[in-house]
Amino acid sequence: MALEDAPTVEVLKFDEKEAYNHDRRISSLIRTQLLHLHHAENIVVPPKARTNININQLLTERQASEYIQKVTRLLHRYGKASSGSKSKKKRNKRAKKAGRTSGKKVLGNQSKTNKIAVTKRSSRK
Amino acid sequence: MSVGLDNLRHIVVLMMENRSFDHMLGGLKKKFPKIAGLDGNESNPDTDGNVVTVAPNAIYRGQLAHDPDHHFPGVDLQIYGGVPPLTGRVANMNGFVKSYATQGTGTQGSHAIMNYFAPEKIPVLTTLATEYAVFNGWFSSIPGPTICNRAFAHYGTSFGNVDMNMFLVTDADRKKIPTIYERLKGGGQSAKLYYFDEPSSTMEIVNLIKDQSFFATFDEFAADCKSGNLPEYSFIEPNYSDHPGPGGGQLLANDQHPDHHVLAGDKFIASVYNQIRIVPNLWKSTALLIVYDEHGGLYDHVVPPNCTADGFTAAEAATGVPGLEFKFDRLGIRVPSILVSPYIPRGIVVPGTEDPANQRIFEHASIPATVTKQFLGGNDIGTDREKGAETFLDLLGDNLRPDNDCVFFKM
Repeated sequence: MALEDAPTVEVLKFDEKEAYNHDRRISSLIRTQLLHLHHAENIVVPPKARTNININQLLTERQASEYIQKVTRLLHRYGKASSGSKSKKKRNKRAKKAGRTSGKKVLGNQSKTNKIAVTKRSSRK
Repeated sequence: MSVGLDNLRHIVVLMMENRSFDHMLGGLKKKFPKIAGLDGNESNPDTDGNVVTVAPNAIYRGQLAHDPDHHFPGVDLQIYGGVPPLTGRVANMNGFVKSYATQGTGTQGSHAIMNYFAPEKIPVLTTLATEYAVFNGWFSSIPGPTICNRAFAHYGTSFGNVDMNMFLVTDADRKKIPTIYERLKGGGQSAKLYYFDEPSSTMEIVNLIKDQSFFATFDEFAADCKSGNLPEYSFIEPNYSDHPGPGGGQLLANDQHPDHHVLAGDKFIASVYNQIRIVPNLWKSTALLIVYDEHGGLYDHVVPPNCTADGFTAAEAATGVPGLEFKFDRLGIRVPSILVSPYIPRGIVVPGTEDPANQRIFEHASIPATVTKQFLGGNDIGTDREKGAETFLDLLGDNLRPDNDCVFFKM
């Protein structure tokens, strides 16, 4: 029995161009997403590589999605650098090299950027 | 063990946004009486005391431009009709219209919250609900908003959160209660969270940043389906915003969050289903769960039942309801949930609270509970809430439905 024999149901068509509105104001969900990603950006991404975008000025879905895309890429890039044994080895190599040239240990400073502070609003019994 | 369960290799969960059971599937009751939808005479009073009855007048976009309240105090009003705590109040699902009026709709505009979709208007969702298994008693985990409800799908708890504030899980908490992704990886299995694309992304990247292997995009989901590389567990997030696509295209939000176009979401559900459906070996070895994170402030007539507390307490200041400390011992409002597999006979309706003798109550903690049970053989890690949650894979039977009995969506 092949897939061609399957009963089909049509997905309803609609005017996607007319429905599209990237100037729609963001919902509380996307606002919350901005807050989360902004927090992660400040913790994971080194200051020089941050977007320096004021998220309070992002009002539309397009503006928000542009920021979210940039930060998601940065988080993948710098989050990756702090995970996985392969990248850890590379980082150690880099740190050792940097230490040799500058005479300082830089590894400790890098690992600090990955700590996430939490404020608890509720308590466990 | 059934043949279907024996052959199961993959569980895929697609979590949509902010629509209640009655709003999306309530209209099916007329033709399928076992589905605990609407009789047509359910009603709520408006702020002037007029009776507003449910009506099949929901439209795809433009009716819910004011986002219905789905924060904890708003949902409390929806469930208890505005009667404050500590008064011996009884849940009556009478406050939806009053709640919507607080969002700036005006009295007339607030009536829109009682509208539901005629089944033929969302053919993908309603077809899947009647072709496979639909849950009459799947509830959101908390009577509150998105973030804490989605947390239950990932962790089996929200760690005491009931709101949309920052949801950051400490390493210490995650060591005690790891995400389902970490549990599976620790057990030698694979898991991925597929977000739609980078401009839409996912909030969980903040908590799981240290392990990039958990993340991929929806395009990669499609590729993984085709190449036979789908992990044991996949969680799919829809597109949360209208934004430009690659090459100058336009990508519509397909999460169905009000006021995004509902048909864009219906099409996305079809797309996820078809990706699995068209690969014969994958189709036979996969269970797809389509579920909504919470009701989004939209009317549902079923009173949420009590549940096992998860060991956390949200203080009065966190709930935002004077006099109410929440112990996570009551579920949120009911949401659409459908389980798809060729090993599920057509037209299964899993009874909920409408059938007390046979009821099975599900919520989002059922997701990690089920996945852990299937792929790790049990669970000593999660909260009591998760350990006590119903699992759903027993719905897979012995008989594989042939291709000519399983629908395909023409896009």
